[in-house]
Amino acid sequence: MESNQVVLITGANSGFGLACAKALAERGFRVYGTYRNPRKAGPLRDLAAGLPVFPVLMDVNRTASVEKGVGRVLKREGKIDVLLNNAGFVVAGFWEDLSEEDTLAQFETNVFGVLRLARAVLPSMRKRGSGKIINIGSIAAFAATPVLGAYSATKSAVNSITEALRMETREWGVDVTEINPGEIQTNVVENTRLGRDVRSKSSPYRAFTESFERFAQERFRHAAPVGKLVQTVLKAVGDHPTKRRYLVKFEDRILYWMRWLMPDAVWEWALGLTFPWSKRV
Amino acid sequence: MENKPVALITGCSTGIGFETALLLARRGWRVFATLRDVKKSGPLRKASAGMPLEILPLDVDRTASVRRAVAGVVRKAGRIDALVNNAGWGAFGALEEFSDAEIRAQYETNVFGLLRVTREVLPILRRQKAGKVVHIGSLAGQMTFAGIGLYCSTKYAVEAITESLRLEARPFNIQVAVVEPGSIKTPFKVNRRKAVAFVEGRSAYQKTLQAILAFGDNPSALAPGPVRVAQTVARALESRRMAARYRVGLDAVLFPLVRWFMPDFLYDFALRRMYARFRKA
Ligand SMILES: NC(=O)c1ccc[n+]([C@@H]2O[C@H](COP(=O)([O-])OP(=O)(O)OC[C@H]3O[C@@H](n4cnc5c(N)ncnc54)[C@H](OP(=O)(O)O)[C@@H]3O)[C@@H](O)[C@H]2O)c1
Ligand SMILES: NC(=O)c1ccc[n+]([C@@H]2O[C@H](COP(=O)([O-])OP(=O)(O)OC[C@H]3O[C@@H](n4cnc5c(N)ncnc54)[C@H](OP(=O)(O)O)[C@@H]3O)[C@@H](O)[C@H]2O)c1
Repeated sequence: MESNQVVLITGANSGFGLACAKALAERGFRVYGTYRNPRKAGPLRDLAAGLPVFPVLMDVNRTASVEKGVGRVLKREGKIDVLLNNAGFVVAGFWEDLSEEDTLAQFETNVFGVLRLARAVLPSMRKRGSGKIINIGSIAAFAATPVLGAYSATKSAVNSITEALRMETREWGVDVTEINPGEIQTNVVENTRLGRDVRSKSSPYRAFTESFERFAQERFRHAAPVGKLVQTVLKAVGDHPTKRRYLVKFEDRILYWMRWLMPDAVWEWALGLTFPWSKRV
Repeated sequence: MENKPVALITGCSTGIGFETALLLARRGWRVFATLRDVKKSGPLRKASAGMPLEILPLDVDRTASVRRAVAGVVRKAGRIDALVNNAGWGAFGALEEFSDAEIRAQYETNVFGLLRVTREVLPILRRQKAGKVVHIGSLAGQMTFAGIGLYCSTKYAVEAITESLRLEARPFNIQVAVVEPGSIKTPFKVNRRKAVAFVEGRSAYQKTLQAILAFGDNPSALAPGPVRVAQTVARALESRRMAARYRVGLDAVLFPLVRWFMPDFLYDFALRRMYARFRKA
């Protein structure tokens, strides 16, 4: 089909990235998938054995690594048609339980990483007068909750970054959009980094964190399979021009619209019904 | 002096912080007005003569400086009733062209700085089982504008920080809110730091950015002065229950309202038309 289209996917050895690499390669795209840890690259290498998937070593936290990785793809292919800014992770914990390093690490990957990749691919896209960037945001960008505050903050920032890039790069024929998924089954829970003091006995938030963990585990047990997300990515890749943003699941749409329609006070009241922390101590 | 409520404010050399410090002191607060550079304290010292207002150095970019200042307030006053996170500045340039250092500097103050001060003050508020935190966000935390995408992304993050922290702190009787001013007449625009690529005239977006600057620097007759923001902060701090957000200025109220009624595709279209005007200017 679109046999000469080149896609670059960050964080392609796991979860969304891996599933999208497979789906896009099966549809004839040439997929460059990044991994940062050779010991975890197994699934990506397996994929590469039978499909036009090419693993690239890249740590999105490091500019030199990003430039080198993107440079290699450009040298081989002469272009990148689609960048899927997907690498990311979750820092969990009440704000007071997070250290400065925890917060910085969260922004370093989820926000600065997205900007680094955009910076690395955009000059070539502008020169060719075409290209597409799809940022993986999250529904958490619209609905911040306790424990996931830092993560929400990064995904809110990405939301704004997508909007700015979408405006700024359009004159060059570049299309930028964002996908905002809710819970989906990947390795995101296993890869979650707990804030420094989350497990500390003296944390005043201990009881709250524990009840939130139970709540999150329950939600993720019923999370949708990754196929839903893949469908949305394929749609965003195929749309010319893209929509401003893509939601993935029906529940995500409900949440999004509830947040849109409810005044802050009502929203907080509704959240309070779901979560147990609103009681005084 | 002993039973006055105690307020700690960051970034008081000019603008919103300056006026908020004075207004709170006039309204019966004991104010600790902090400045990054106490050499700039002349005007505040003069304006606050005879008032219960003390000036302390505090650079929100530096952990040691934050610790010293907060410890100083506790030593002198024994408590903190309100924290106003006001220190901030705006980066200007195309999102693609900010260097790592420029991105980091912008986040260091507007996001990490705000978190640093909050992290230091929260345990004190928790021990008191009372306190209020007001973040100075922005209309730019609700909507993204061309040319200031990086700044907007920091203010989007502040929105999510407010929403999550508000719920996390509630069981401890700590209230959190964000004040969102629209365009305000302060030295904010003069203090804006322009991207090096733009300053050196080698930006791919040079002309568009120039047009945006020319447009944005036209002083709006409608823009209120910083006293209006100070009044809103005072109103929030003196209310029994703070709302989640306070908007200051006609633009800050109207723009999000119009946006609220617009479907995504229409908003996208409107933005594109506006941005195209800069491009052709
Ligand atoms: N799953 C969900 O419910 C959900 C919902 C909304 C949004 N998201 C977002 O979707 C994206 C993908 O997550 P996922 O669910 O597929 O989780 P995942 O299975 O944990 O995959 C995350 C991928 O990102 C990579 N990564 C993390 N930090 C990196 C860095 N500094 N440099 C390079 N790669 C890095 C990981 O590499 P390693 O394997 O080496 O760690 C992994 O390949 C993330 O941005 C996440 O925030 C997920
Ligand atoms: N003016 C507007 O149109 C507008 C609109 C919406 C939101 N805001 C927000 O309002 C807040 C105040 O801005 P303003 O309009 O009053 O502008 P301003 O007059 O430029 O004041 C900014 C203040 O922040 C201080 N500051 C900057 N970096 C700092 C650091 N690292 N540590 C401590 N202090 C630091 C500045 O100190 P120095 O003098 O030492 O630089 C100055 O006192 C900012 O957060 C801004 O984003 C402004």
